[in-house]
Amino acid sequence: MSLITKKKHITLAAALGVSMLAAGMQPAEAKTEDGKWLIYLSLSYSGNSWQSEAANIVKALAQTPPYDETVELVEVISGTDPQSQISDYESMIANGADGIVSFPISSNALNRTVRHGCDQGVLFFMYDATVTEQCAYNVSYITSGFGENTAQALVNELQGEGKIFLSRGVPGNSVDERHTNGAMHIFDQYPGIEVVAEYYSNWDDRTTQQETSKALAAHPDVDGIWAQAGEYGAIQALLQADENRLVPITGENSNGFRLALANEEYQAKGLSGVSAGSPPAQSGFAFKLMMEMLEGQRESLPEDKRNIQYPLPWVSAGDVQLCEGDTFENGCNTFPEDKVPSSFVTEVFNPQLLPELSLASALEGSPTPGATIQPLPEDVIENAPNEPGINCRSCDTPENLYELTTVEATVSP
Amino acid sequence: MNQSYSTADKQDTRQAQRFSSTSIAVLTIYSLVVLMIFGSRLVSPSLGGLSQLMTVLYLSSFLVICAFGQGLVIMVRGLDLSVASMITLGGVLSTTFMQGTNEGLYFIIPGILLISALVGGISGFGITRLSIPPFIMTMAMGLIVYSVCLGFTEGTPRGFPAPILNAFMQSKVFGVALPILLMLILIVIFTTLQSYSAFGRKLNAVGNNPDAANIAGITVKRMTISAYAISAACSALAGVLLAAYANGATLRMGDDYLLPSIAAVVVGGSSILGGRGNFLGTVGGALLLTTLSSMLSALGVGQGWKTVLEGVVILVALLMLREQVFASLQSMFKRSS
Amino acid sequence: MTIKRIADSGLMIMVIYILIFAMYGAVQPSALSAYSIQGLFNNSLPLMLAAAGATFVILQGGFDLSVAGTISLVNAIVAVLQFDGALGAIGMLAIALTVGILVGAINGFVVAYLKVQAIAATLATMIICQGVALLILRAPGGYVSDFMTYELTGSMSGIPVAIIIATLVALLWFVFRRTNAGRNLLAVGQDAKAAELSGINVARTQFFSFIWAGALYALAAYFLAALTSTGSPSAGEPFLLLTFAAVALGGTAFGGGRGSVTASLLGAATLVLMQKLLFSVGVSSFYTGMIQGMIMVLAVLFSGAVQFVVDRRNII
Repeated sequence: MSLITKKKHITLAAALGVSMLAAGMQPAEAKTEDGKWLIYLSLSYSGNSWQSEAANIVKALAQTPPYDETVELVEVISGTDPQSQISDYESMIANGADGIVSFPISSNALNRTVRHGCDQGVLFFMYDATVTEQCAYNVSYITSGFGENTAQALVNELQGEGKIFLSRGVPGNSVDERHTNGAMHIFDQYPGIEVVAEYYSNWDDRTTQQETSKALAAHPDVDGIWAQAGEYGAIQALLQADENRLVPITGENSNGFRLALANEEYQAKGLSGVSAGSPPAQSGFAFKLMMEMLEGQRESLPEDKRNIQYPLPWVSAGDVQLCEGDTFENGCNTFPEDKVPSSFVTEVFNPQLLPELSLASALEGSPTPGATIQPLPEDVIENAPNEPGINCRSCDTPENLYELTTVEATVSP
Repeated sequence: MNQSYSTADKQDTRQAQRFSSTSIAVLTIYSLVVLMIFGSRLVSPSLGGLSQLMTVLYLSSFLVICAFGQGLVIMVRGLDLSVASMITLGGVLSTTFMQGTNEGLYFIIPGILLISALVGGISGFGITRLSIPPFIMTMAMGLIVYSVCLGFTEGTPRGFPAPILNAFMQSKVFGVALPILLMLILIVIFTTLQSYSAFGRKLNAVGNNPDAANIAGITVKRMTISAYAISAACSALAGVLLAAYANGATLRMGDDYLLPSIAAVVVGGSSILGGRGNFLGTVGGALLLTTLSSMLSALGVGQGWKTVLEGVVILVALLMLREQVFASLQSMFKRSS
Repeated sequence: MTIKRIADSGLMIMVIYILIFAMYGAVQPSALSAYSIQGLFNNSLPLMLAAAGATFVILQGGFDLSVAGTISLVNAIVAVLQFDGALGAIGMLAIALTVGILVGAINGFVVAYLKVQAIAATLATMIICQGVALLILRAPGGYVSDFMTYELTGSMSGIPVAIIIATLVALLWFVFRRTNAGRNLLAVGQDAKAAELSGINVARTQFFSFIWAGALYALAAYFLAALTSTGSPSAGEPFLLLTFAAVALGGTAFGGGRGSVTASLLGAATLVLMQKLLFSVGVSSFYTGMIQGMIMVLAVLFSGAVQFVVDRRNII
């Protein structure tokens, strides 16, 4: 047995060598027969605003000149089962994929297949969610400290005292765990803050509304809500329980939430807070980075430098600005009510990184007429800190893991 | 001759016993709900009051509606796994057709119910005429419907429910939310339909013994198909209401209702082997599950313990509602009287 | 008679499997490489084992929803414990099987002896197991030894380990079916009352069907951990519906009495292969579910039609 194991190690080492060689050889010339890059867009599931906007952004970019001539993009939906995505990745590799831009379903389960793909010279770019296999690029906001920063913002709003709810994501999910750990790191420092209810809302407006209603039945005197995606449902639940009372809420980037934050009537009822969290635009950034590497405009990075941080969006009530057109112009960051549904996730554009996009790109996946792909700024890559289990396997937890990056504590514990 | 007489006699007593055991089951489940609501005062002083009861009733209404359909299907010895997808279909169709206006609501809602009943009817057809196991047929139908919704909306359902439906979900009359009133009306209709109408009796007969029902001149297949059609329409109705509640549809909006719909039916004392079902029991089951979950939310325990406790309560309810328990209770009662 | 035996032995599903595989190989020649085949079977094995387990319960006329919970629970336990090497893997297997059998025993006791309806009881145990899994492992991760990750998903003298395991399970069924316990299982499924009258201990038979199921679910979770080299407290969720689809595809009758574990193994393998085929023919991803649904119905209709022909020939 030990012999076999040893042999395996040698094979592994050899594979590693080959992959490094392959990485050095970029840009490869492995185009499809018709001379296009074969790129797969591998999704977990489609069915909420966030997932489809992220996918639409990539689809729109792939149809924007010159990529419309050079890229063949194939979309694959794998559902919520990691095994399906393993199977689909294997098929993509076998089909001769040049690159795979993907929302990974699991941070660990896909590693072996990803490694296999890297060894075959396939570029992997993960957006939003991450994998711990170091040969894949992770383009994500996860390490930017959503949990701790929003928690601090809530503590600031509450002057360090009050009963709060935690509206979490999906049970047993590593992203939810990371956010909540960050938040609890802050809340635990304030003895005046009491978490009276903690529930899972599956990052969904309706579930958030239902779960918040249940919690409100027990704690009608809640002082604030710390929420992950689905936050707009929390506002609806509060209004349903008492149409004259709102409380500070921190949440993610739904258009409905941002409009509510800026709504003076709601502010008078007690709503305040901040909108931060996961931007669908990560997918577009990941795709453009990948294309630049494929086409040789950008050097590939060494394996321990492939965790790339996407900045955390941060919009408080005073920062909400309505867009008049269909893009983020003049610093606007929210759309009028009649343009998009309340569940629409606003952070779809990025004037620096993704100037090619418009509202139609995010909603329908169609390119902006007249737009062409603009190169990314040279020094665009910001390395993300390593976080074990999130974006690396055998690495140490950084000491300043939950250090505040975006907001400052205005109340001392 | 003698023998056949005694069998018939036995069957009669069994029927009578079954009836009273069902009533006991329903009583037990409601006592549990009441006990739990009062008991939840121990968890939090603001619980156990009218406002919690209202929240529980409100949130149960969606589950109660789809559990009625699931109950009918279970009564005819089937299982409807397309509940989640049919809820999504109802939600997606309503936001697509209504587009945020009140226009044509009078035919849009019946239209949606009709379309979904048709889809459910196709499942029923496959099950009765083509002998496809209900499990496979409804699961496949669920996959197909979901995938059509996905393709049709390209991942993002557009549009909004009619404003009047929105207002309906938020309005109160004498402090009681309108959806609760709607649910009460539906409970009366559904109970009548299931327990006190010719349709319900026939369906019950089919569930008890399809062969006997056939001999008695009941169109077994047609009854079975209608159970699936009604179930699909119920789920779609729940979907329409959910879309109005959340002011929009999502493709996974039904996911949280499949297993609870089965759980509500079986906790409510219905037999999964068919022929024993009582809608009031199912309503009790739905209330029990919702009360429990709202109580556990307030308790502030972690998700792991919360889930374990939910499972334990379901198991305990099942153990308490076993037929033997009632049989022994009854015999005890008889002996003492 | 021979045709009937063929139909019962799951040959139909084998034909379907080979047909789909031929199509897949035709559109995707690289599918026939040793690596692809090994990958395909590795990927199929957990579902195959889960479906094999569920078949034991379904054959006696029962139903077992606990598959999702048991797999999550065992998967979480395997990922939390840290045992290395071949011995460690064997120790882990023993622990996994113990947990699976324990859950099976609880199911069996509640259903067979306390007479709670199987679907309801196993719904409750499924939820409980999911909760316990979350208590053991809060988020995906944990540790799976290199031995499990590489050896259990590799090959032994050229044959993928996954194929060997599946064959062993098929052999187990081949033997089991010919024992008294196996005959009792089918007899109880055909008619529990008649079985009782003919002296079969129905409760005991039901009880042990859940034990077999639990053990095989545990095995599925064990190999899932090896395949993904990680654990997840919700690992079992995708298995809930797929398992029963696989059993039905294999032609096992819901309600009991007719079917085979081998056919369920193949049914599960077919489901996984179908995804591969759909990918390689390039079905638009939005409509994959639709095609899957239709194929499931068609496959059941197909084996039903064959059964019908067989039955008629037997009557004549």
